[in-house]
Amino acid sequence: MKLTKQIGVIVLALVMVIGLIGCGTKGAETSPAADASAAPVATGGTLNVMVEVEVASLDPQIATDGTSFEVIADFTDGLKQMDADGAAVNALCAEETVSDDGLTYTFKIRDDANWSNGDPVTADDFVFGWQRAVDPANASEYSYMMSDIGQIKNAAEIIAGKKPVTDLGVTAVDEKTLKVELNVPVSYFDSLLYFPTYYPINRAFYEGLATGTFGTSPATVLSNGAFILESYEPATLNFTLKKNPNYYDADKVQLDGLNYQVIKDSQQALMSYQNGDLDIVKLSGDQVDQVKDDPELNVVGAGYLWYLTMNGHDVEALGNANMRLAITNAINRETIVTDVVKDGSVATYTAVPPQFAAGPDGSDFSGDQTKFADVCADDTAKAAEYYAKACDELGQNSFTFELLVEDQTETQNVATVLKEQLEAALPGVTLNIKVEPKKQRVEDIQSGKYEVCLTRWGPDYADPMTYLAMWVTGNSNNYGLWSNADYDAIIADCTTGKYVTDLEGRWNAMYDAAKIVMDEAVIAPIYTKADANMIKSNITGIEFHPVALNRVYKNTVKG
Amino acid sequence: MKKYIFKRVLISIFTMLAITLVLFILLQLMPGSPFNDEKLTATQKAALNAKYGLDQPLIVQYAKYVFNMFKGDFGVSYNISKNTPISQLIQSRLPISIAIGGMAVALGAIVGLFLGIVAALKHNTFWDTFCTIISVLGVSVPSYVFALGLSYTFGFKLSWLPMLYTQNSPIASSVMPSIALSLFTLASVARFTRTEMMEVLGSDYMLLAESKGVYGGPLIVRHALRNSLIPIVTVLAPLIVDLMTGSLVVEKIFSIPGVGSLLVTAIQSNDYSVVIALSFIYSAMYIGIMLAVDILYGIIDPRIRLAKEGTN
Repeated sequence: MKLTKQIGVIVLALVMVIGLIGCGTKGAETSPAADASAAPVATGGTLNVMVEVEVASLDPQIATDGTSFEVIADFTDGLKQMDADGAAVNALCAEETVSDDGLTYTFKIRDDANWSNGDPVTADDFVFGWQRAVDPANASEYSYMMSDIGQIKNAAEIIAGKKPVTDLGVTAVDEKTLKVELNVPVSYFDSLLYFPTYYPINRAFYEGLATGTFGTSPATVLSNGAFILESYEPATLNFTLKKNPNYYDADKVQLDGLNYQVIKDSQQALMSYQNGDLDIVKLSGDQVDQVKDDPELNVVGAGYLWYLTMNGHDVEALGNANMRLAITNAINRETIVTDVVKDGSVATYTAVPPQFAAGPDGSDFSGDQTKFADVCADDTAKAAEYYAKACDELGQNSFTFELLVEDQTETQNVATVLKEQLEAALPGVTLNIKVEPKKQRVEDIQSGKYEVCLTRWGPDYADPMTYLAMWVTGNSNNYGLWSNADYDAIIADCTTGKYVTDLEGRWNAMYDAAKIVMDEAVIAPIYTKADANMIKSNITGIEFHPVALNRVYKNTVKG
Repeated sequence: MKKYIFKRVLISIFTMLAITLVLFILLQLMPGSPFNDEKLTATQKAALNAKYGLDQPLIVQYAKYVFNMFKGDFGVSYNISKNTPISQLIQSRLPISIAIGGMAVALGAIVGLFLGIVAALKHNTFWDTFCTIISVLGVSVPSYVFALGLSYTFGFKLSWLPMLYTQNSPIASSVMPSIALSLFTLASVARFTRTEMMEVLGSDYMLLAESKGVYGGPLIVRHALRNSLIPIVTVLAPLIVDLMTGSLVVEKIFSIPGVGSLLVTAIQSNDYSVVIALSFIYSAMYIGIMLAVDILYGIIDPRIRLAKEGTN
């Protein structure tokens, strides 16, 4: 009798456990459509936004990551902002004049632009912000946006500690007039002005704060943008912003506020979205598969190019252009994006990824992905041809390379498939995968301690040069230590030479440069990353951009 | 006793200094540096290292760190929250971890003790089997499985409790994480209580007490439970520190702004000062709790107290 009772208890307990475990996994199978109907109706106009990581800094000259930039731009305007298509449009700037030689910019700041403490936004606030960006004492990681990219006069010397910050080529002519002097004409200068490093800081307010407290709470930061920081503390997982009633463009801002929630577990994030706690959520690759037919799924380009860099400097076989061409043609990119990454990422066959840089005529620099199809395609037959040539030239037919990848699930999965594809298409090639934490991987490729590495690059500004400048001799991101005098000359002409004022010529020259990179297979582009989001059907007008500000909510409407 | 405590505190201070030194050396050996982004050039890295004093010899860095630490300055974060004083990060996060961990410990200890006592008293009955099953489950199923199950059932399906931690309703937000975290403690305590109680219940002095007319509640609490407590306190002590310093997985699932997830993020991003400060606090709590346990032994069992005083 007792025994039967005990068995009964054990069975009952097991059923409970299985039930509990079942609960954990069932979440993954639930159709969001079924649950959406049960979600409470949204009240008020607060947009509930999910982000994956904490805000690293609210200081526009210190921040470097997409999340921080997004939040800073929620409450700060620069001289320009991005419109829905990513073009630079006037924000705090009312009027812009460029001198005939393209070296001097004069900006008139809007009369109705004010900080949230009532102070007007002045030209000096920009001078102060920009000087902070180049001040060696601040060691701003994006200082090169002012020097190498923006070519602002004396920026490079100040960063190197050779000149005082006051020598920066930016002056407040009067309270509302800002004059900027450049070393050379920069065709994309307007598009830098929406980058947070270029945002103003109220000098008097900043200097009135205790050292190191700027941007650590709503009281230690000022807004001049669409929203005002309402609750925040460093590394918080939940913070809010409310509409700025004194914003010059307040009529257009429809949301009452933003409620940010940091969620690091993607399954919990999706459940919170299905629960109605979130209006927008970012999905992982596996989740995209679950919800791929859901009308609320929204895939946007994230701009990041994942590519293989090959160390031709230290590995003889990889110094052979035919070997590199064999590798790039042996990759089946379509399989990788559809079967491995699965989040809407796009197979890429160009050194500059598509969808972020538009030329003088408005066309996408890499819109045509077949432009270099003769040297870069998913074509194992062509790979075999190049490989035969390479074997001939190198006098051997067995090669072992080490493929370095970082310890993320997606990159490791891609690496496994790359290994299969390359070993199948190129008999005699063995690829050994080496996994490292990201920081170590970056250090290793920067110091040339690798053979082949799966790495990525995201655009800093909306111009192909953000990629092409990497492969100049001696650039710290030219991981393959590749060097080509013709290439260097073209890039020099485009950045500081004869093409700086000839936009069409520059555009064509950049194509020539891209062609050299592809012809020599300096890199093997693989895919351009996409972000898959779920957005509630009553939300419209979230603007997504692959460059600088990934999400902008100024024109968002919650119906 | 006072002399003993003083000696222990003194040893603790040196232990902590040794721990920070070892951590300093270990962190230097860790792959990468805090500033290894693909966008950074060598010049910028040098500038950042100079800004944070990371370009100086290790021993100088250590001396400076210890000197500042005595002033309550744990340095600033390099990555997670750039330039934010660590003390500020910890001040906002540690209380949350302690609160949730404390609730988990209390829940686990109380329910565990209760189950253990019941199992021992009702030896070989339905209750004994039931308690044993709970113990086995609690020890063998990881807390995040419980966390996910609870979150799905009570957060997602029934909407009784918030799925994510919200500052506005800290109590309701702490219920599920506390329960999920408490199960391991509950199971361990129940198991040890049962075993110890059974042993004590079968001992001669229990028989003697009973024969002297002590029975019921007083017999169980004063004679049986008290004598079973020593091993239970011993298992409970490290669990308390573990729970109070936060759990990575449960914090991640419920988006709790605690120190467990902070430590892991800090290790992954080479945010040296955060790692050192948190490890320091972890060690301090561990040493503190161990000291408390030693004192508690004396209270539970006067023989231990006498023995210690005899040797000191």
